Amino acid sequence: MRNMRALALVAVVAAALAACDRGAPPHVAPRPVVPATVASAAARPALMTSADVDARLQAEWQKAGVAPTPRADDATWLRRAWLDLLGTIPPAEVTLRFLADRSADKRARAVDEMLASPLWADHWTAYWDDAWMGRDARAPEVDRGAFRAWLHDAFARNLAWSDVVTQLLTATGLNSQGGPQRVAYADEGTAPPPEGVNGAVNWTLRYQAAPQDMAGTASRTLLGVQIQCAQCHDHKTEKWTQKDFQSFAAAFVRTRLVPLDPGKPMGAVKRVSLRELDRPAPRYSKMADLEPIAKASPTALDGTDLARDGSVRVALARWITAPENPWFSRAFVNRMWGHFLGRGFVDPVDDLRPSNPPVAPAVLDALAADFAASGYDVKHLVRVIVGSESYALSAAPLADATVKADAEAKLFERFRVTPLGPEELLNALVAATKLDAIVRATGRMDLAQVRFRVKQRYGFLFDVDEESDDGDYEGTIAQGLALLNGTVVATGASVLPGSALTDVLAMPGEDAPKIEALYVRVLSRLPSAEESDRWTKFVADAESAGSAGTLPSPRPAQARPAKRTKNGKAQPPDPLLGLEGRAANQRADARVHAYEDVLWALLNSSEFVLNH
Amino acid sequence: MDHSAFGRRTMLRLGTSAFFGALVGRWLSPLHALAADAPPARAQACVLLWLNGGPSHIDTFDPKPGRATGGPFKAIRARAPGMMLSEHLPQLADRGDKIALVRSMSSKEGNHARAQYFVHTGYAPNPTVVHPSLGGWTCARLGDPHAELPAFVSIGGPSFGAGFLGVQNGPFVLARAGAPPADVALPPGVDRARFERRRAALDVMEDRFARATGDAKVEGRRQVYAKAVRLMQAPKLDAFDLGGESEATRRAYGDSDFGRGCLVARRLVERGVKFVEVVLDGWDTHQNDFERTSKLMGALDPAFAALLDDLGSRGLLASTLVACMGEFGRTPRINGNDGRDHWPQAWTAALAGGGIRGGVVHGATDDDGAKVAGPATGVPDLLATMGTLLGLDPAHTEMTPVGRPIAVTDGGAPIRPLML
Repeated sequence: MRNMRALALVAVVAAALAACDRGAPPHVAPRPVVPATVASAAARPALMTSADVDARLQAEWQKAGVAPTPRADDATWLRRAWLDLLGTIPPAEVTLRFLADRSADKRARAVDEMLASPLWADHWTAYWDDAWMGRDARAPEVDRGAFRAWLHDAFARNLAWSDVVTQLLTATGLNSQGGPQRVAYADEGTAPPPEGVNGAVNWTLRYQAAPQDMAGTASRTLLGVQIQCAQCHDHKTEKWTQKDFQSFAAAFVRTRLVPLDPGKPMGAVKRVSLRELDRPAPRYSKMADLEPIAKASPTALDGTDLARDGSVRVALARWITAPENPWFSRAFVNRMWGHFLGRGFVDPVDDLRPSNPPVAPAVLDALAADFAASGYDVKHLVRVIVGSESYALSAAPLADATVKADAEAKLFERFRVTPLGPEELLNALVAATKLDAIVRATGRMDLAQVRFRVKQRYGFLFDVDEESDDGDYEGTIAQGLALLNGTVVATGASVLPGSALTDVLAMPGEDAPKIEALYVRVLSRLPSAEESDRWTKFVADAESAGSAGTLPSPRPAQARPAKRTKNGKAQPPDPLLGLEGRAANQRADARVHAYEDVLWALLNSSEFVLNH
Repeated sequence: MDHSAFGRRTMLRLGTSAFFGALVGRWLSPLHALAADAPPARAQACVLLWLNGGPSHIDTFDPKPGRATGGPFKAIRARAPGMMLSEHLPQLADRGDKIALVRSMSSKEGNHARAQYFVHTGYAPNPTVVHPSLGGWTCARLGDPHAELPAFVSIGGPSFGAGFLGVQNGPFVLARAGAPPADVALPPGVDRARFERRRAALDVMEDRFARATGDAKVEGRRQVYAKAVRLMQAPKLDAFDLGGESEATRRAYGDSDFGRGCLVARRLVERGVKFVEVVLDGWDTHQNDFERTSKLMGALDPAFAALLDDLGSRGLLASTLVACMGEFGRTPRINGNDGRDHWPQAWTAALAGGGIRGGVVHGATDDDGAKVAGPATGVPDLLATMGTLLGLDPAHTEMTPVGRPIAVTDGGAPIRPLML
């Protein structure tokens, strides 16, 4: 939902460009791939399969009298799965291999490969870093890189979701090894988390000034309960009272930090050790708005006393992750379903309440029970969802439906089209154009810096609401301008040393295979015969017309953006500015220009910018 | 009991709730639909001069000469009864009859991010909803979706977006005044003819995909692109180009990014833009407060004054609300680094033009500038005042995605003595 996403105004995407910097596609593992950390489903016969989901959904469709769309073709499905599981588009060779594969189980095997890919942890690190830390986590004690390193390690090992949450809620210890403040470590995903550091504590540190928000975020993201609506007054439509909120929030005020770095090092992370207290931290009791929270007796949302014995934080984590908790498993399943299918059973995904009932409740209930039974195995859940018939359906509505068609496809009888988030869009742009190779080929720029700054820019510009269920596209003029004229597309669509287009033009042979190579690379599919003909002709026409080459005009001086403001959201400078001019200064060549124009159109197309 | 005062307050409240009641049944009506019901607006546009970091109220608009907390700056008499300003704001002092000061501002938010959110939106941050900023409300409710220029522009800073009202109602950000906005110019090597060729190629892609999916989002993207292209080619894009301004005008605003930002703001307002925020950053003066604050006032004073003059001479001041504030004040106590720390308990906001009664000083702080003397003014009251002047009913609500009605301001009431 929009408000959640925006509030957690995502510190973008640390893994965004990391993937492409690893050179050869890391997911191309020898077959058959056996995922290292997930016990195979066969070993746990009691667990659900995708077919169980299909049977339940088909019953819902029948009941409602709706008919599913046909299956999406292989190329569409593969792109969809790569974006949703790994946050980027599939490399050309993966697409071609998949399309050539004639075996019946190729989709299942592709999912196994994706689950085993190092990109898996990159993607979910970015996802949860965004959901939990937001964009504004800038306290001097917060080491965002350490937090991400912790997340990355957890997802790489497929740690049970209950364990991830327990570690998050009960973390104590050292926040950081110190050093400069970073949004992510340069070696994220390739090096183990720093020794002696518990990156998870940084979440608690992020909420030092406002622990009531930690309670609200925990309740919302872990349980799908909007308890913080009751912060100011009793909830209007639900049973929650202000007292309920205060008692729940009381479980989040029992920590203190021990500073380890004297003074205030500018621009460096302040090392602290987070300790747990057996009573509310005195500083909160002194703050007028927190006093009622500090005074309240820590109580779970179902009335369970969290202060009965021992650590309140441990009791909280135990209560949240207990299989009997009515929200924990459902909230995660609903969120994941919403991520993959474009809409949760409950919509918005974080708003599970009696007056907002789910669609297809039987499916949600079954998946939630199964997720708990699996020991909160995230990869198992994803395998079941992605293998389901719903996930395989086409986004196109039935052409001549004899049955009634629900424009919103609320029962998942059609795949929902959603805009790519900033991370996915940037990953896809880089993968399609080899922007990283272009930057590297210039040899004059620090790739890590460029990556960081481009990410900032795109996070700022493309902070779309992936969880929004609006049928309409909500975009900004600035987003449109960035794709039409901005440096990422302008540079990426150019014939520059290292660029994808340079590779394609260096291929021997006719235009048709070159157009095909661009399609596979950018749109992850083969062009239709009509498209191939059209663009081949487009190139030929430009060539015969001769001087498609126009005199290069220098880009007008652009503003150097103002320096970062206190809230840290100033639009960062564009590190690619001027790079695209290098192509324009090369000999104007009508044929090259025509290819650049085709690539530009592909990169600007809805087919590229939307997940379908 | 003072019956007359009680009666008036009650009447006000009754009036508000009756109006509110009339709206309840129409929560779900589309934006704009209710504009006709809004109270008559005096202001057609708003320029928010945002002093980022939290300026010391004592060093700027609420001087305390002769007190230990007063600092080294002298106070000068402004052209309004009882209005003293810092000696570093001489031009504003000269225009005191145009300005209203609210010296009784008070809030509980002493953290930059939270306080900036609060003062922009009128709501304390809450993880369950992202509240629209006043600029976002203005864009959603009063902006013309077919205008050449975006209805909400922020200069030199990101401002705050439109929250649950959607990104399309958020600010169009100009990184720095005096240069064109990012990406409105064609990239090198692409002239208009080539751009049109590219767009034709893109149309082919879009037609095919729209046919294949039948999805409304494709059309939505087309509309966003059409708006972007319209902006690229808009005659009014000259608002961002200061080349046509006389040397005297440019000099009047001062040789600073902020001054140029204010000049661009005037040009945008002239061209129908509804809400412009101009950011002057650097007020978080924990160290070296006096040197830094006097320097910042050196940028603020001429820019703010020139904006008032310029709008006035063009007949736009009466219809343009100008507001100037930061997220909080700073401590009366001067710390060991010659600095002042965060102080949300008492601070000042300045308003002018657009239906504001000039020369008014509303509320006061105690002798040391530490506490509000008398009734405090809340941030929602300030935003309710601004909203009302712009024609936004503060009690108007829209539904969030989780089905909560959220009003323009969090229960604030307009400050009547400030309003003409």
